Amino acid sequence: MSQIDVLDHEFEEDDFSFAHDADAKLVDKNFKATSYLKDVWSNFIKNKGAIIGFVIVVFFIFMAIFGPSFNAHTYKSIIKGHEYLTPRVPGLQKLGIFNGTYKGYNMYEGDLSNVFYWFGTDEQGRDIWTRVWSGTRVSLIIAFAAVIIDICIGMIYGMISGFFGGKVDMIMQRFAEILNGVPTLVVVTLLGLVLPAGMTSIIFALMITGWIPMERIARAQVLKVKEQEYVLASRTLGASNFKLIFSEILPNIFGQVIVTSMFSIPNAIFLEAYLSFLGLGVPQPMASLGSLVSDGYKSMTTFPHILLSPVIAMSVLMLAFNLFADGLRDAFDPKMLNK
Amino acid sequence: MKKLLGVLLALFMLVGCGGGKTENNAPQSGGDAAPTASQVTVQVPADIMSMDPQYATDGQSFSAQNLCFAGLYQLDKDGKPVPDMAESVDVSEDGTVYTFHLRESYWSNGDKVTADDFVFGWQRLTSEALASDYNWYLETANVVNGDCYDTSTGLTPEDLGVEAVDESTFRVTLTQPTGFFMQIVTFPSTFPCNRAFYETVGDQYGLSLNNLVFNGPYNMTSWDGGYGYSFELSDKYYDYENYKANYVEKVNFRVVSDTQSALMDYEQGNLDIVNLSGSQVMANKGVEGFTSNLGSYTYYLLINNNYLAADANQATANINVRKAMSYGIDREDIAKTINDGSVASEGIVPFKLAGNPVTGVDFREEAGAVCGYDLELAKQYAETAKQELGVDKISINLLYSSDQGDPEIQACTRIAAQLEEIGFEVTLNPQPKKTRLNVYQHVDLAAGDHGVADFEVSLTRWGPDYGDPQTYMDLFISKNTSNNQGGYWSDTYDTLIKDAEAAGTSAADRWAKFIEAEKVLVEEDCGVIPVYQNGTAMLVNPRLVSGIEFHSASVDVYRHIAVK
Amino acid sequence: MKKYLTKRALVSVATLFVILLVLFILMDLMPGSPFNDEKLTADQLAVLYSKYGLDKPIIVRFFIYVKNMLTGDFGISYTINKNFAVSEMLKGRLSVSLMVGAMAMVVGTIFGLILGIASALNHNTWIDNLCSIIAVFGVSIPSYVCGLLLCYFLAYKLKLFPILFDRGRPFYSLVLPALALSVSPTANIARFTRSEMIDVLNSNFISLVQSKGVKDYKVIVKHALRNTLIPIVTVMGPLLAGLLTGSSVIEKIFGIPGIGNLMIQGIQFNDYNVTIACSFIYSIIYVVIMFVVDLLYGVIDPRIRITKEGA
Repeated sequence: MSQIDVLDHEFEEDDFSFAHDADAKLVDKNFKATSYLKDVWSNFIKNKGAIIGFVIVVFFIFMAIFGPSFNAHTYKSIIKGHEYLTPRVPGLQKLGIFNGTYKGYNMYEGDLSNVFYWFGTDEQGRDIWTRVWSGTRVSLIIAFAAVIIDICIGMIYGMISGFFGGKVDMIMQRFAEILNGVPTLVVVTLLGLVLPAGMTSIIFALMITGWIPMERIARAQVLKVKEQEYVLASRTLGASNFKLIFSEILPNIFGQVIVTSMFSIPNAIFLEAYLSFLGLGVPQPMASLGSLVSDGYKSMTTFPHILLSPVIAMSVLMLAFNLFADGLRDAFDPKMLNK
Repeated sequence: MKKLLGVLLALFMLVGCGGGKTENNAPQSGGDAAPTASQVTVQVPADIMSMDPQYATDGQSFSAQNLCFAGLYQLDKDGKPVPDMAESVDVSEDGTVYTFHLRESYWSNGDKVTADDFVFGWQRLTSEALASDYNWYLETANVVNGDCYDTSTGLTPEDLGVEAVDESTFRVTLTQPTGFFMQIVTFPSTFPCNRAFYETVGDQYGLSLNNLVFNGPYNMTSWDGGYGYSFELSDKYYDYENYKANYVEKVNFRVVSDTQSALMDYEQGNLDIVNLSGSQVMANKGVEGFTSNLGSYTYYLLINNNYLAADANQATANINVRKAMSYGIDREDIAKTINDGSVASEGIVPFKLAGNPVTGVDFREEAGAVCGYDLELAKQYAETAKQELGVDKISINLLYSSDQGDPEIQACTRIAAQLEEIGFEVTLNPQPKKTRLNVYQHVDLAAGDHGVADFEVSLTRWGPDYGDPQTYMDLFISKNTSNNQGGYWSDTYDTLIKDAEAAGTSAADRWAKFIEAEKVLVEEDCGVIPVYQNGTAMLVNPRLVSGIEFHSASVDVYRHIAVK
Repeated sequence: MKKYLTKRALVSVATLFVILLVLFILMDLMPGSPFNDEKLTADQLAVLYSKYGLDKPIIVRFFIYVKNMLTGDFGISYTINKNFAVSEMLKGRLSVSLMVGAMAMVVGTIFGLILGIASALNHNTWIDNLCSIIAVFGVSIPSYVCGLLLCYFLAYKLKLFPILFDRGRPFYSLVLPALALSVSPTANIARFTRSEMIDVLNSNFISLVQSKGVKDYKVIVKHALRNTLIPIVTVMGPLLAGLLTGSSVIEKIFGIPGIGNLMIQGIQFNDYNVTIACSFIYSIIYVVIMFVVDLLYGVIDPRIRITKEGA
């Protein structure tokens, strides 16, 4: 810009004129310094898909907490004579949808004319609405618990392995590799059998292999960060290993870890559903989205409404988490935004 | 990329062909081919476990064997034994010697079926080397030295009370008259085994089509692990002409573990017989071809008495708790929920198991209901029990199978809800069946541990081994440590059973004693709490004029399937 | 390179050995025994245990098993097909499973590439958005839900395909299961292709090629695509391994006599040898694929090879 070859030429006074208002001064604009998190936030809210995903996730969490208490039923209350009822919603039933008919005839005739089940009932006469939301609750608890444990184990393991390197790294990586060599579904299924039925067992089974991706990312990030000047500086100033790991390195890899964990939540929900399909899910009468889907599957051709609500709930929830995680990833990694 | 695709496609071709070739040197089973007039395709949930009649243990294997093997007698449509390989039988006056006269019939390899084949089959069943799950079968039938499978007796299978008098005469000697002996000789465990052929294949016997030889009305013609198996009419069978004229030429079995896809495939006309489960039963009740049959398993709540000894504070030790449970369970409601033809149990002995030897009246009908639902009574017992135990809620842990299909799960969910109505607190404890049984036995052989089983109440089942109440009654005598897993102990009961089974007891008296014993066990002591008797619901293609014949105390017979 | 190769191969073998031991221990921890049945007495159990050598300590059994396995003997089945050689049982089933897996992988790769390339070329347009949405859906919906839907609509309602697997026409009857299984690889490959392709398209050498006046489609096919494909090969490996293990539910729905189904059965029936053999085959496939991928990385990106050798 500054070096323009000027030809041998005589300039006149009016050869040049200001393109803009001559009085306007060139001022260096001072943008307010934005923090990293603010940056992430502003990137995040620009992403429509991510916002939609986030809103749906919040909606599901809300419904998981309050949905089951919207009516008088509980997830295990059985009402004799109310089996297999199709959905019937007050108001909508007059429009011809959700009117409780099955193959053309009204299932709610006689004594049931004032009864409404928003999502219908299952083969035991339990309210599917209540079961879907309490199932969502169970699935979310399992997923979150598994992922939080994954983060703790994976991050610590990965950081230690990456930070110390050498022999420690070698041994720790071989161990992870071996664990990773056993197919996840095999481990999860076998553990599902070995452990007593219940939520904690499922969480534990999911945890066993779930931390490995987290560990990889943590390690890779540590390897990248640990040679940087600021860590070196801190080390020279006498910071202990412990301090280096937790106060210098951890904050800098946290974004990546959060993103990975958001991606592993739908994965955990999926694995739980898989276990349910094999009959190793949460014990009856407790419900999870997976167990509801596998129960409903048995009635797919006969009473599809039993399958439909949990399947839709599960798919939408997974979709929302994926959208949300996508947005989060882009937000944490501005380089991705331009893509 | 093109190259990669090419390689992958080639791989498909290879794999595709390889897949086809795994069938054991047999023509395509044609499991999914459109059924023609001369063949039917039946859906089964799993592969056959064993084609060795002496080694098999499960109903599905037995049914398959019943197609391609033949025993001395066979069951007719009504469950009466009629001649098969034997033309006739002479019974000695004291009822302890049975002499069977065999007819002329041949194995599929051309050998004649001889009395020696039966001797060999029966000895094989009791041999220690085979370690068959059914090795006790001849002992139950009171065959002389039937306990020779137990080496501690010092006996060998050669000592078994069977002999080949000549090529076509087979004689069995019993220790005492046995009313149900003719039932025993229709069961696959007592089928013959071709000695000469067995010696050529050795321990590979039964492990593939090449290592099998048949003497039944059908020959097994394909066996494709996990996919299916099929049978075709055998012209070596003595009754071939009759079978050819009346019954289907080919019976195919297709393994489909998922009832949903099986039903869809049935509706498209590819399968002729499918099992229905859960809501499928309800949705198909009005459909042409729907059949439901009463099974012979009694599902009952096993109460752990061994546990009581270890922990006397156990709620189930209290008789009022047990009575409250027995009266508090609405068995009709459970049967209606399961909805596959199951019925509410009225005692431990199932309906239609056996008739009174004198009058022919069904045991259940004669004995009447020894357990039933009565909410008011249940509440009273529960109140009393609470006071006696000094608790607000009676806590029960209910163990059951998580992997045995819907009925058990539904029953237990239902039981829990019903008992909670009368002030119980029920914790459901679903476990895979193997685990559940292991809990009962609590046997750790490696550690030599025969400890006390750790459960309170558990839903379990028992299927009869022969058509007589004894198969149930023997379960709960105190000396039957292996099958009396709840450890029920009643001197009254023990005496009644011992008297009933003594050699001198008349048939009518024996019957009366069984009825009385059941009353003690179920009504007075609530030692077990019967819940329901299973049923099977299926759709059968209407083009079948005759289908499967069900027998409550024996194998289901597929021999007489005929199509329009 | 050779040194690295041998080292890597040795590690793989050691990994497999340890996996086998882990499987053995898990199997031993599994409650119940293969011979549990309402009607079996404790004495009969003892006889069966000694007949099959299950009364020996686990370590002894492990080494016996390893020794037999090296000769191709995977033991016998205790329950599913009593006394059958497990290797015989695996033969027919493995081929079917591999066939479904390979079909799904091909379908997944083709669709994934198309979606990924389409969105990369039309970056930030509605096409890109649409493809991304399809990809997100693909990751979100479990394969068995897809299987159910395909089975219900295409096979049951429209009768385009058979519902159940048919030995007589394996390829045709495996189309639906393969489609159901391919959903997740499609989505994963689409996402990966998209970001790789955008990277490549933005790189300097493409600008150079373009400025040299090479035609657009040629730029894409000859330069951009080629450079995108190489890294994609490396993600296909883990996807393929995941595919094979994830197929058990699909196998159940479509009545496919495959290895996934067999493994689940083995687990339910406590059929030790069957379960171990099936799991171990998965592990072998997994470890081998990882090994190959590792090598491919080295071939593609020499930097990785060098650092690994240094380590």
